[in-house]
Amino acid sequence: MLKRIILLVFIAAICACKRSGDVGIIPVDDFFKTQDKAYYRISPDGKSLSYLKLQDKKLDLFVENLATGKSVQLTHLTEKSISFHFWTSNNELIYYAEDDTKERKSDLFVINKDGSKQVQLSSNEKTRVRVIEDQLIDDKYIIVASNKRDSTVFDVYRLNVRNGKMEIAAKNPGNITEWMTDNKGILKIAVASDGVNETLLYRENERKPFLPVITNNFETTFQPVAFPENEPNVLYAISSVNRDKNALVALDLKTGKEKKVLFANDTLNVTETRYSRIQNKIMFVTCETWKKQKYYLDNETKLTYSKIDQLLPGTEWRIMDNDKMDNVFVVRTFTDKNPGSYYLYTVSENKLKKLTDINSSIKGESMSDMKPISFKSSDSLTINGYLTLPKGTKKTNLPVVVLPHNGPGGRNTWGYNAEVQFLANRGYAVLQVNYRGSNGYGKSFYAAGFKEWDDKIQEDVNDGVRWLIANKIANPKKIAIYGNGFGGYIALNCLYKNADLYSCGGSNSGVINLFSYLKGIPPFLKSNLQMYYEIIGNPVTDTDYLRSASPVFHADRFKLPLFIAQNPKDPRVNVAEGVQFIKELKKRNVPVTYIEKEEGPNPIKRQQGRTALYKALEEFLKNNISKK
Amino acid sequence: MALDKKSGYRKNFSLGVTFIVLISILFVLSLFLAFNFSKKSIENEFVSEKVNVLEQSIKPYNDFFQNKMPEISYYNGFLDSATASKFVDTIMLKYSFVSRVTFYDTEVKNMPVKDGMNVGKLSIGPKSIFQFGKNVAADSIRLFSESDTKSFKVGDDFNAMAYKLVTFVDQLDTVAVPTQEELFTNFSVVSSNKITYLNIPRREDLKVYKDMMRRRLNPSPVYQQDMLVFQLNPNKIKVVNTRPLLYQKIQVEPLTYDPIDTSDENMTTEIALPGAFSDFKLYLTSSKSYIKREIFIYFMPIALVLLLVYGVLLLVAFLIYRNLNINSKMFKLQYDFVNNLTHEFKTPVSVIKIAGNNIKSATALSQKEQQLYGKILDEEADKLNGLMNKLLAFTQIENKAIKLNQETVNIRDFIESTIESHTLKHPDFKMTYEVVGFKTFITDPVLLGSLFDNLAENAYKYSKPENKKLHMSAKLIKGVLVFRFADKGIGIASGELNNIFKKFFRIQNEYNQMGSVGLGLAFCKELVNFMEGEISVKSKVGLGTEFKIVLPYNS
Repeated sequence: MLKRIILLVFIAAICACKRSGDVGIIPVDDFFKTQDKAYYRISPDGKSLSYLKLQDKKLDLFVENLATGKSVQLTHLTEKSISFHFWTSNNELIYYAEDDTKERKSDLFVINKDGSKQVQLSSNEKTRVRVIEDQLIDDKYIIVASNKRDSTVFDVYRLNVRNGKMEIAAKNPGNITEWMTDNKGILKIAVASDGVNETLLYRENERKPFLPVITNNFETTFQPVAFPENEPNVLYAISSVNRDKNALVALDLKTGKEKKVLFANDTLNVTETRYSRIQNKIMFVTCETWKKQKYYLDNETKLTYSKIDQLLPGTEWRIMDNDKMDNVFVVRTFTDKNPGSYYLYTVSENKLKKLTDINSSIKGESMSDMKPISFKSSDSLTINGYLTLPKGTKKTNLPVVVLPHNGPGGRNTWGYNAEVQFLANRGYAVLQVNYRGSNGYGKSFYAAGFKEWDDKIQEDVNDGVRWLIANKIANPKKIAIYGNGFGGYIALNCLYKNADLYSCGGSNSGVINLFSYLKGIPPFLKSNLQMYYEIIGNPVTDTDYLRSASPVFHADRFKLPLFIAQNPKDPRVNVAEGVQFIKELKKRNVPVTYIEKEEGPNPIKRQQGRTALYKALEEFLKNNISKK
Repeated sequence: MALDKKSGYRKNFSLGVTFIVLISILFVLSLFLAFNFSKKSIENEFVSEKVNVLEQSIKPYNDFFQNKMPEISYYNGFLDSATASKFVDTIMLKYSFVSRVTFYDTEVKNMPVKDGMNVGKLSIGPKSIFQFGKNVAADSIRLFSESDTKSFKVGDDFNAMAYKLVTFVDQLDTVAVPTQEELFTNFSVVSSNKITYLNIPRREDLKVYKDMMRRRLNPSPVYQQDMLVFQLNPNKIKVVNTRPLLYQKIQVEPLTYDPIDTSDENMTTEIALPGAFSDFKLYLTSSKSYIKREIFIYFMPIALVLLLVYGVLLLVAFLIYRNLNINSKMFKLQYDFVNNLTHEFKTPVSVIKIAGNNIKSATALSQKEQQLYGKILDEEADKLNGLMNKLLAFTQIENKAIKLNQETVNIRDFIESTIESHTLKHPDFKMTYEVVGFKTFITDPVLLGSLFDNLAENAYKYSKPENKKLHMSAKLIKGVLVFRFADKGIGIASGELNNIFKKFFRIQNEYNQMGSVGLGLAFCKELVNFMEGEISVKSKVGLGTEFKIVLPYNS
């Protein structure tokens, strides 16, 4: 008898050991945890580091002396939260705080790095401020854009950080969406938009009027980067003018012609570039295929930055901030399995110092690989995407959750995605599809998605699912589809139009009605309305199309179990419409799981709402994915 | 039954009759009550079921009102005449009670309008008006446009709705979130045969409207609103008769409809229609005979159940009566048996008593007398002993209280000894036998002896004095032993043949006045059964009787 018990204990022990080899269920909160330190900024002299840290449920501003390692807490906020801050000089910082209310009342302060002196520049403003140039001009001005004159347009102001006075630097006639200064803080570039076409305006100096240089359709990317120091009237820009993919070019501002191509490749799409003001040259360009890769334009910089590559192997990294001399950098890293960390890198010493993890609860070894995939759509277009398989030995016949990304535009990128990892941890393979209309695959691919929302875009997602089934990865009876915003819109359309492919699904703040979406475009985006009409559809001329493409009109065709989450206080969403839609679905006996979520700028509340949402989603998937 | 009270019997004939009469009365009464109940409940249903008729008939209206009409809001004011026309077409196809729809393509702006409503700086006016319907001529679809303003009337539906919108906007609490119901009631006007619906703007838009009321916004905004007025025809409501057997006719009539010629022949009830149809009612009629049929349909199953219960009660009563009858017969037989047995015991006892008395009173007994009395006492004692043995053995056999003794019996010796003992007793008894096919077999000789003795005794007893003959045969046929006992006696009437093996049964005749308790043949049957055999009888009155015994052959 004793022998038998020992044997049993032994067997149990073996089983337990085998189990512990798998990754257990990781709590929902762990995936989405927000770091309590973030938004690192480095002082121009590279000697101090500022950051925001969660203190009593509010983010407060801290400054650390890098030489001594001592930190000083500068703010003790109770009502408002800091939304951004920056250094204006080696000793002064500016921070911008907003409250949670609808009006978003904001305060602007300038404070000494030791907290000794604080000046309030503005108080309880109902307008929004964007910083165009944070470098002090004449030791007292910074350049900001504000909509204080008219809530729909941003004018440019010179803000005196000594007394808070704002004097207008350039008045927005109503169509300017972007402003840019040169290296000395002189406003030289404005981008005007009529909604569809963007015109680049240039003035040589502040006394001259802005003159148009080139005009581009919104499908074309033209993104000003920097003014090279020694070449007058030349602008470096990421451009897809006369190209399908973005390239880095130098534009002659007098003629509007391309003067020089700095970096271009037919298969690579330039997404970012880094210009060093002190060295007066482009350090590198970043191109994104399935992941982002850096391309150095000369050997000297390659030598410098490849040292970071050696220190941080296998990760993607970005420079978040730097000092004036390009000696100290705040670097952020990440991989598909880890949201990553912040590091402080000192070039002169080639030293990397870890500042904080984005999310210390995430262990890379428990996360799943995010692998790029590509397949041919039914009309032979190559569609790219990502597939994340759950940890474990099983690689076939898996339950799948399809996550179409939000839009319009946008794309899924390689990197840590909490939602994806959460679902993979719960045993689902996650498919992300960069359907046509997604950015980053060239102009024609982007334009191919216009007004195809309920047709080809949706079919691209379906083709991805069919590809998974054909490759025996997916269990054809256990496929769910879920998304946010336009992702939710695609999910809803798939659920009623392709009910044979999916077993359940849902949306989070999903677009259910394209009319409402277009009607609800925020006032400060009104100038882009024509563009939205082109991408999505014109409610006046394309009424029938918009009607047939909006799930809200087709409540009678839904049959599969639905998960719908929305924020009842969301001012952008016609909540009454959502409720009417759900009521009708319920009347038709469609099983609907309806979640009303709370949202707000408060990180704690946001986290609670998110946890509740994902727990409900987990439960919903568990109960419904096999119901086919 | 003829026995009087003293014997302990009770007459139950009158009881039985009383019982049957009572349950019959009960049956009739319950039928009557059931019918009345059916009538009442059908009459009640006639009044109450109209709610279901209303619910089913008004379902499309509710669907239209709650699901289809709010769809206008989904367009967010983007409806134009072409889309509105399509929308109206689907409505008219699905909801036949919608007869005509007027579409006001409306603008809300800061510029004062000539036609429409101006409140503060807010102006609401139609850009154009269209009407759609089955009988609308193509040239009268457009009723109003900015260039042709003559068809606009002040008392139009438009102003009523616009007034409601303005009031709502004026009283709007911009902080609170208005409920779905609040919005719905404020953006629809339900009047007699007409529903006006205005698409519900987003909260943000309502706030802007409120703002626009107070001041001119710059740039001057123009918001699109869609107002639709649905003309409804209550006579086109498809009435759903959920109880066609209950309601003969259902009509939609004005609320005031009340025909004079309501004769006694018809039952009527009515229920008002809801919402936009509130000036109308459903008028439900059925003739009395129509209702009667429904009552009968309702009553039938109840009556059948009652009949079934009545039948079962009668059957039970009959069965009880039959069992009582059988029991009383049995009691009579036992009573007879006790009588007979007493009688049976009386004879030897009285003979013994006389012999005893004689011996007691005689002064001296001669040798001959002594021998005579001795013989008498001995014989009578044997007789008593025999009687008691028989009784005892019978009860034992009947209760299966004895065990079979298995011994080898030589059949010839056995029959011869039986013959010997009987001819000794009755010298005039002529017995013959034959044995075919076997010599010995295994059985209980005592039981077998009782069987042979009883049958031989019976043969002797029931034969005329000059014809006391018995032929016994024992044969092995197809593996079983067949014994036959054939006499030339008086025979048994065929009507009695079934009864002779019953306990305490005796044929009433001159031959069994004494020395018989009616146990003999019942005892024989029990014996044969016990020996796992069968006994049967063939007989003809005046010619003789033959008993046939079949026993299993064990050797």
